[in-house]
Amino acid sequence: MTVFVIRRFLQSTAVLAVTAVIVFIGIYAIGDPAEMLISPDASQAERAQVVASLGLDKPLWEQFFTFAWNALHGDLGRSFVFNRPSIALIFERLPATLELTLTGLVFALVLGIPLGLLSGLKPDSATDEVIMTGSIFGFSLPSFWQGMMLIMIFSVWLGWLPSTGRGQVGEFLGVHSSLFTLDGLKHLILPAINLSLFKLSLVIRLTRTGVRETMPLDFVKFARAKGVSEKRIVFVHVFKNILIPLITVIGLELGSMLAFAVVTETIFAWPGIGKLLIDSIMRLDRPVVVAYLLVIVSLFIFINFVVDVLYSMVDPRVRLGGAQ
Amino acid sequence: MKPMKFLLAGVAATVIALGSAQAADLVLGSATEPSAIDPQFSRTGNNQNIAMQVFDRLVQTDAAINIEPALAVSWTNVDPLTWHVKLREGVKFHDGNPLTSEDVIFSLTRAKDIPNSPAPFSGNVAAIDSMKALDDLTVEFKTKKPAPDFIEQIGFVYIVEKKVAEGASIEDFNSGKAAIGTGAYKFKSWTPGDNLVLTRNDAFWGKKQDFDKVTIKFISNDASRVAALRSGAVDLIDAVPPGDVKTLQGISDLKVFSTASARMIYLALDSARDKSPFVTDKDGKPLDKNPLKDVKVRQGLSKLVNRQLIIDRILDGSAEPAGQLVPKGVAGNDPSIEAPAFNADEAKKLLADAGYKDGFGITIHTSNDRFPGDAEVAQALGQMFARGGLKVNGVVAQPYNVYTKGAGAGEFSAFIFSLGNSTPTSATGLRNLLMTANKDAGTGSFNRTKYSNPAFDEAMRTATAEFDAKKRVELLQAATKLVFADVPVIPLYWQKVHWAGKANLSYVANMTEDTSATLAGLAK
Repeated sequence: MTVFVIRRFLQSTAVLAVTAVIVFIGIYAIGDPAEMLISPDASQAERAQVVASLGLDKPLWEQFFTFAWNALHGDLGRSFVFNRPSIALIFERLPATLELTLTGLVFALVLGIPLGLLSGLKPDSATDEVIMTGSIFGFSLPSFWQGMMLIMIFSVWLGWLPSTGRGQVGEFLGVHSSLFTLDGLKHLILPAINLSLFKLSLVIRLTRTGVRETMPLDFVKFARAKGVSEKRIVFVHVFKNILIPLITVIGLELGSMLAFAVVTETIFAWPGIGKLLIDSIMRLDRPVVVAYLLVIVSLFIFINFVVDVLYSMVDPRVRLGGAQ
Repeated sequence: MKPMKFLLAGVAATVIALGSAQAADLVLGSATEPSAIDPQFSRTGNNQNIAMQVFDRLVQTDAAINIEPALAVSWTNVDPLTWHVKLREGVKFHDGNPLTSEDVIFSLTRAKDIPNSPAPFSGNVAAIDSMKALDDLTVEFKTKKPAPDFIEQIGFVYIVEKKVAEGASIEDFNSGKAAIGTGAYKFKSWTPGDNLVLTRNDAFWGKKQDFDKVTIKFISNDASRVAALRSGAVDLIDAVPPGDVKTLQGISDLKVFSTASARMIYLALDSARDKSPFVTDKDGKPLDKNPLKDVKVRQGLSKLVNRQLIIDRILDGSAEPAGQLVPKGVAGNDPSIEAPAFNADEAKKLLADAGYKDGFGITIHTSNDRFPGDAEVAQALGQMFARGGLKVNGVVAQPYNVYTKGAGAGEFSAFIFSLGNSTPTSATGLRNLLMTANKDAGTGSFNRTKYSNPAFDEAMRTATAEFDAKKRVELLQAATKLVFADVPVIPLYWQKVHWAGKANLSYVANMTEDTSATLAGLAK
């Protein structure tokens, strides 16, 4: 286990370093941040002043090494646009994305697993057909269109739910989240549904396939022969086995939901990090983009690590590498 | 008893309705968001939109970009290098302290040096040589050289309170601690990416505002912003997409407020160089002579553009055809210059006279996410040029952040760009876009094609040195006429801008494209 952790850590550091180089050079190649930032009636002198104050007049390698040196000291730079530490900008918006993603994930799991089980246990029944057809919609309708439809139906026509923003933020045990106020929850429902529909379909299909694959296996037959109740077979023995692919996929999907909930955040004007990333790329706000991707890469590494640990807990056959 | 109860309920309902009409709140859905609350941090439109509600300037502009007094009530030049600016009496900052000359001097000094400011006001105060408070409400300015439009330069810098802003960091402004202005609304809070809340300043020196509380929600996506208005989540939105204007006009409890803006969309032509990267002969081989250098070719191309057709078919009517930099109503517009009319025969004749009877090959570049219809307009231009006998090798559309670099580096031959004019006269726009690019003289900072016309440069120098306001405008008109006869760029159209709101609201649609609660009110 210790060896595993150390090896993971070294790999992660290398990944982070490579990411920093690629993103830094990539943004440099796209365009000139000064062009995006200066006012349309700026004079030559002002332009020169801006370029110098952002350090854009220096050669690329010098800009990069300044950045790398500061990064090693824990400073990922200040946003060109906001003139605030880019890390602060990211963590300021992370809670909004976290609550959105987690709510979406809970939706997907709480609805997806039972529906998948239902489908898998009664294959080719009418229920199965309905659930499977429904999940095709979840897969194939573009997220952007789904979001607009949700707004049209629930906000514009029915007027039940608000369509934009995060709503009131409450405080509970020192944590600020819109989960703690009624207004906040109302604002959360539509974007969370929009974010979760695709994952929901994924969970349904994974669960159904898992059930279908596991049910004919010998250990199920043996359990039946032993007289174990059907309930126990499904919810204990079969369920444990279908959890493995679910954990893998959900782990990866959680990362991408957190990092790239851009479409949902844009449609619902949700003040999360996905929107910050897109805006920053559009404005060539290099410090924010680089810091963001470093944070996200760390996050993916962490999630993958947790997934690996969870494996070994769910499936005794898997023991983390390094032990042999 | 029953009818009585009914009546009472009715009265109560009326009272409540009246009460809510007096204590109105405004929820505004805005496409853009400020990057900071410090009004001097960035001069770009999204920051100014917020700054102008909390802070004031010495002068401000009305809907047609005419100057009107704000914190300054008069400005007189004693001699060519000296100006006396008289401040308004009885103006108070939000913390109750009165506005004095010291605040003005501090603000104009501070504007020069805001750390890491991406769009500073330093150019606005560059002409100042020295400042002196003659009394509490009079400031004497000495300029480095005669500056007839001095008030247009210093007048648009936001005035902060010396006591509060001295040593304040950008975070102090963002949190509201230092966001103390003299404006119509007080700053309450800003949640980045989500909303900004303002409350009415009852001690405001100007017109009393209709709204107690203003919430500005940042909704960058066009469709979501329109949906938010239709669902009633917001009362007013800006940047209505041209395609949605008709739909919104058709909804009875909504109103659309429109005006032609002073933003000119133009096709820039690489007319200064002997060879141009995307001009070829008919077979696609590079030409060793650049046809765009010939004014006849540029005139011909301009005549091939059917501006009205572009406006009707691509922009849903949301534009006015342009033949010069600023539209009617903005000082410097020359009413005698019409937008060139589409005339294929004349255009072909001009091209033939220039020696390109069979045309030549050209590629048009454009951004695709900068303003409504930018990519489509480029395609239309391609078809129109092809109709005039040119061989259009391609129309290339790129995201704005990639595109600007190429445009600035001279990588294109013909490319679409826009220039928003937010100053009271066309002088700034003409100086930045069309005067010879010269770092030391501070001219031509957006002259991407390096167009150079010495006669025009001279005319501009004369015009901007003229102290008599009326004469100055006439000189600007003459300079405009001179330079557009040479077709330095092909002006296409001035964008129309739209706001939409609930029917019980009014909004002053303005040419500077400002979105501010100070421009909104309850319809009388």
